[in-house]
Amino acid sequence: MGNWERLVWNQREVLLEGFLVTLHVCALAFAAAILGGLALCLVRMHVRPLRPLATLLVEFFRATPIFVQLMWVNYVWPELFGWPNSFFTAGWVALALQSSGYLAETFRAGIEAVPRGQREAGEAVGMGPALVMARIVLPQVALTTAPAIVNQFTVIVKSSTLVSVITVQDLMFQSQKLVNVWYEPIEILTATAAIYIAFVFAVSACGKRLSDALRRRFGIGSG
Amino acid sequence: MFSEALRESVDLSLFWDYREVMLSGLAFNFHVFAASATAAIALGLGAALLRVAQALPFRVLGTLHVETFRNAPDYIMLVWVHFVLPLLLGAALGMRIEFHPFASAVIALGLVYSGYYAETFRAGIQSIPRGHLEAGRACGMSERQILWRIVMPQVVRRMLPEGLNQLVSLFKATTIVSLITVPDLMYRVSMVTATEMKPLPLYTGAALLYFAVVFAAASLVRLASERWRRRILA
Amino acid sequence: MPAIRASGIRKRFGELEVLKGVSFDVRRGSVVSMIGASGSGKSTLLRCINRLETPTEGEVYVDGVPMGFVEDRGGRRRPRPLSEVNRLRRDLGMVFQQFNLWPHMTALGNVIEAPMRVRGLSRAEAVALGEAALEQVRLAEKRDAYPAHLSGGQQQRVAIARALAMQPKAMLFDEATSSLDPELTEEVLAVMRELAQRGTTMIVVTHEMRFAREVSDEVMFLHDGVIEESGPPEQVFGAPRSERCRQFLSKFIGQAR
Repeated sequence: MGNWERLVWNQREVLLEGFLVTLHVCALAFAAAILGGLALCLVRMHVRPLRPLATLLVEFFRATPIFVQLMWVNYVWPELFGWPNSFFTAGWVALALQSSGYLAETFRAGIEAVPRGQREAGEAVGMGPALVMARIVLPQVALTTAPAIVNQFTVIVKSSTLVSVITVQDLMFQSQKLVNVWYEPIEILTATAAIYIAFVFAVSACGKRLSDALRRRFGIGSG
Repeated sequence: MFSEALRESVDLSLFWDYREVMLSGLAFNFHVFAASATAAIALGLGAALLRVAQALPFRVLGTLHVETFRNAPDYIMLVWVHFVLPLLLGAALGMRIEFHPFASAVIALGLVYSGYYAETFRAGIQSIPRGHLEAGRACGMSERQILWRIVMPQVVRRMLPEGLNQLVSLFKATTIVSLITVPDLMYRVSMVTATEMKPLPLYTGAALLYFAVVFAAASLVRLASERWRRRILA
Repeated sequence: MPAIRASGIRKRFGELEVLKGVSFDVRRGSVVSMIGASGSGKSTLLRCINRLETPTEGEVYVDGVPMGFVEDRGGRRRPRPLSEVNRLRRDLGMVFQQFNLWPHMTALGNVIEAPMRVRGLSRAEAVALGEAALEQVRLAEKRDAYPAHLSGGQQQRVAIARALAMQPKAMLFDEATSSLDPELTEEVLAVMRELAQRGTTMIVVTHEMRFAREVSDEVMFLHDGVIEESGPPEQVFGAPRSERCRQFLSKFIGQAR
């Protein structure tokens, strides 16, 4: 068991650096996915001429596997668009695209789930459509979709392991580098797997607490 | 430069030239999918039954299984099963063991997705109204009969849409097996790119092919779910 | 001038004509009940008044102001834009069958939302109004409760307070007690009775015949999109001229007498 100390504990700074890069990539992807998903959703619902394009994008981002999207963004986009110009950017952009497709659907379901009667109650006291959307519909959408959004973050974290393939120096990359240096995969890879599992578990648990609290207070929530 | 690159990526003739290679790669995706789906469903059902068991040790075991594999990234599991598990088994059995990449892929994806399936099955089992079980007991049915004749048929029907969605996700997950040298479509694309030096049509072609397959499957699942929802919802 | 006047209201949904020419006046401070079978068009008629439904033909006047059009000095008419309809809606309070409280706001939050956002009152002013309204429906102690934690009757009373806080010229009740369990109906009817006693102008679509008989100044019986019978409660309940009205009331044995 001295191996654990030598290979994992002594390398903890390297692993921590990798973990911070993972967090960085995931945070950027998460923020971009929420904005992108919201934009796609609202365009689909309110900008009629762009609806087919938005729908196509949503379906494409959802159906294409994340690894394929990652390769595509990393190798094809720079030739097509001249961007992204770094592996790091390609990494979080691909992750964001995939999740924005899912979140666009989530937001759409959330908006449609707000009972019509509540909009009418707003109209009956003289609220205009913008006020109804801002004060009645969107706050409820935020609350009802919060658990799904947290879940999407766990998806991003799990998918982020693939950015190591395009040489982004995340936790996966650093642990594989250590394995290549030391030729001893057991402790390093097991520890890395444990870190990812623990982190995703923790985020999931928070998501569940959030979902329970929302249901207790507001009586709304998925399922 | 943009239009030239656009034309090059849209000109899929290179991808078409290699279509046999590409399609046989896609076939590997399907093979891995079929095998790991079977494993995932079987293991997932087992874990779900453990989690709803009466005895605490079973419940703990089931929960451990589910939480370990449900929260694990596919890629790290893949690498761990392929590089670490053979060493552990080898040490235990006193021999040198190596896993065939295909086997590692099936085991890894099977384990991860068994975690998801376990949750799906458990939710299905626990959604069966208690009254159904009590009616079975009142007729004198044994617990096993109740499980297989009353509970499972309903669980399958209720959880079919979610279960099918997870199959689609599993298929998408098979695209990473190229990373441990299973010769699937992505593997072929990277090999051909290495010789032809033209990533645009190849990666675009692969993306479109995967999109077509997954979109078709997901749409079928969606349509079927919509039709079932009206019939099942009780 | 009547507080509310409906003139020749027709409403068609595709092929189906639900309202076939309805006209009536509501005097200030009076309580008008609308009764009739399901599908007779009562709710649709009520919703035409605050324009949640737009009449296919005909017009509604609130305090003499038409809801559907604007007339300029030359006498020319153009449709009233939604923003102005919203301004007129402030003077009408509606209470829905499904309560429609906003679940992400507390009881007080629900009540002060419109006074603040629509009438532009300051938070302090709105809260004062809101607490008074909640006091009126006897739910002052529930000001910080979320709708999910209130009973049906309590939710409906908060909904009434929400409408009252806008200090409307008239209150519209769309089957306000139909979704409530029987034991919770009375607390809501009690609040409605008090409002009537205070001289609130009310239009009440209801199945509660006893309430309609005891509280209304006028009762209208709708059948198939037309007002078949209307008059004071003693007449409509006691000696209806319309045969259909008689048949309809016979189903409510013991309630209207």
